[in-house]
Amino acid sequence: MKTTMKRMTTTVLALGMMSGSLGAAELRFTIWTGNEAHLKMLNGFAESFKAKHPDVTVKYETIPPGDYTQKLTFQLAGGNAPDAGWLMEDAAPTFAAAGVLDNLAPALNKAQGYDFADFSKPALGLWTAGDKVYGVPFSTSPFVIFYNKDLFDKAGLEDPNALAAKGQWNMAKFQEVSKKLKDATGKWGFEFKDGQGYDTRIMHALMPPIRAAGGDVWANKQCGFDKPEAVAAVKQLHDMVFKDKSIVPPGEQGDYFSGGSAMTINQISRASLMPKAGFKWGIAPLPTGAGGESPVIGQAGIVVFSAGKQKELAAEFVAHMTTKDNVAAAAQFFPPARKSVLDSDAFTKSNNLIPPEQMKVVADAISKGKVLPAHEKSPQILAAMKPRVDALWRANADVEASLKAVCTAIQPLL
Amino acid sequence: MAGALPIRDTARREDAPWLTLKMREAMEAWLFISPTLAGFLIFFVGPLIAVVWYSLTEWNLLTQQATFVGLDNYSDALFRNPDFWHVIRNSVIFAIGLVPLNMALALSLALALSGRFAGVVIFRTVFFAPVVTSAVAWAIVWKFLLQGEAGFINQMLASIGIDGPNWLREPNWAMAAVIVTRVIKMVGLNMILYIAALQAIPRDYAAAARLEGASGWQIFRWIIWPLLGPTTLVIMVITTIGSFKVFDHIYQMTGGGPENGTLVLAFYIYQQGFQFFDVGYASALAMIMFVVVMMLTIFQLVLRRRDT
Repeated sequence: MKTTMKRMTTTVLALGMMSGSLGAAELRFTIWTGNEAHLKMLNGFAESFKAKHPDVTVKYETIPPGDYTQKLTFQLAGGNAPDAGWLMEDAAPTFAAAGVLDNLAPALNKAQGYDFADFSKPALGLWTAGDKVYGVPFSTSPFVIFYNKDLFDKAGLEDPNALAAKGQWNMAKFQEVSKKLKDATGKWGFEFKDGQGYDTRIMHALMPPIRAAGGDVWANKQCGFDKPEAVAAVKQLHDMVFKDKSIVPPGEQGDYFSGGSAMTINQISRASLMPKAGFKWGIAPLPTGAGGESPVIGQAGIVVFSAGKQKELAAEFVAHMTTKDNVAAAAQFFPPARKSVLDSDAFTKSNNLIPPEQMKVVADAISKGKVLPAHEKSPQILAAMKPRVDALWRANADVEASLKAVCTAIQPLL
Repeated sequence: MAGALPIRDTARREDAPWLTLKMREAMEAWLFISPTLAGFLIFFVGPLIAVVWYSLTEWNLLTQQATFVGLDNYSDALFRNPDFWHVIRNSVIFAIGLVPLNMALALSLALALSGRFAGVVIFRTVFFAPVVTSAVAWAIVWKFLLQGEAGFINQMLASIGIDGPNWLREPNWAMAAVIVTRVIKMVGLNMILYIAALQAIPRDYAAAARLEGASGWQIFRWIIWPLLGPTTLVIMVITTIGSFKVFDHIYQMTGGGPENGTLVLAFYIYQQGFQFFDVGYASALAMIMFVVVMMLTIFQLVLRRRDT
């Protein structure tokens, strides 16, 4: 009994000393990548942070992207908040409105040579409110058309980049080319993002053509799906799916990355899949429409959680991660929102899979693009939209009526 | 000289002479079951009571704000939310479709495979294999087979001149598809239960009936079927409960769509709680599901008691 007591006392003392005397801090940082190259870069940021804070280590915690927002929410609700982490664009307004994100403005203003004004204004829309900064975008990745050059050659067609150079890459041409590709090669002309356009990627499917036509899905708390521009754009898509049969239809699978479709829409991070694809390929801007050029951008930001215990230190680390140098270093994976990096040659040459002239497409789209729509009630809005959009994707659907139904369903939530 | 040893030294020393044997035994019993009991209380009863409490609050998980709203969540679900009744309707259709089909198929397979013949084990394994297959893999394969035009099922149908529907994109067909694929996945479990019950029935009964001139159907109807009664009841109860709780299959196959055609109660609860973070409302729905399943179970038990 005595020895037990003794042992316990020493253990408790030892533990107490360990936590007290060293003064070392560990920042817990949640991310959704497990990619080794990404982790190496992130660990590099943690290492260089030691110049100022030799005792601080950063522990990156990977949560798979599909569960990310959900698991993060549980960590916050369960009193186990990480200090900082990545945040997806569709979660940003919800999290900011719930008051779980810390204001980074003081830390960013204090950081030497940070130059917050260098960030492109449109890219900050989701992450700022007045003087407050709830997050710093680390990836501002526009949607581009990935095309299978072999299939274009087989069909004897000019590829999207050639058409874009002649100023002919518009929605009408896109429809025409898709049909010709289907007829000539037997493969699908176009596939929505990751083949999920009718399920989890409804927004990614409808949004670019609606914006190209000069409309929007919603703006100023007003639903835009039933406006004439949106109706016309969706009617065209509907025709492509059911009349031309050039877009992979609902319930069908047509994997672009294995050569099943001639074109798809995605972000440049997917270029990492291309070396294995076994065909010649390229990226091109989104086709223009009546509304002119209207690139669409997907975003992710770095945030600090209010419930974290080392907020100031975490904010300082976020400032460190997003300095000009570090943003430039990250640009090969995550297109930057800093104008100085975006305009540099270093950026267009940063991706060894994509030639510089095609990376210019990306840089162009970032400076001109608009981010995907996000909303405090994004999950509810998507759930309300889903059944009405399902009804839209039937061969005999009345497109206009279906889009009216979408608006009826989501207007109360906007 | 062993008899000379004092008895007290060999017997166990009494630590607590004031305890009677009965009390001591009771105490020991409680101590033995305490690890399980603690787990049961902490991980089962605790959350169950918590859910009742949560269901009376409006609690947003993200903002961590909880306000007591009494029975508002319940009245909202039952009287004001049109989706709720649609969801209940879907759950009932799913159960009505799944339970009889599953049981009939399980019994037929069991009757065919309860005997002893060459290769019987292989057949049993084949029908049981889906039960232990990963639900995700199962859903992916079926989604592939059930594609609109390029799908294997529809190509087979086309070869005999039938124009198959776009299974997972039309609400009614999607419901039929999730029911049938779920039955094929889970039927093996009930088949094993039926096989065990069939093998427990002494063969003499059937032999005696045959001597009396009973036909195969008569033997089944008047001897086997009544003797399978208790097993049938168990299978019916667990299959019904399982069908009301179905989540993973729906999540993987249709995500509740198309047009909410397969939005069942468990999936709806998941949506409210884990997508909208509205834990109070989700808890109220979970309580409603609990009551529904309990009532169904009691109803089946009463029905069975009346039968016997």
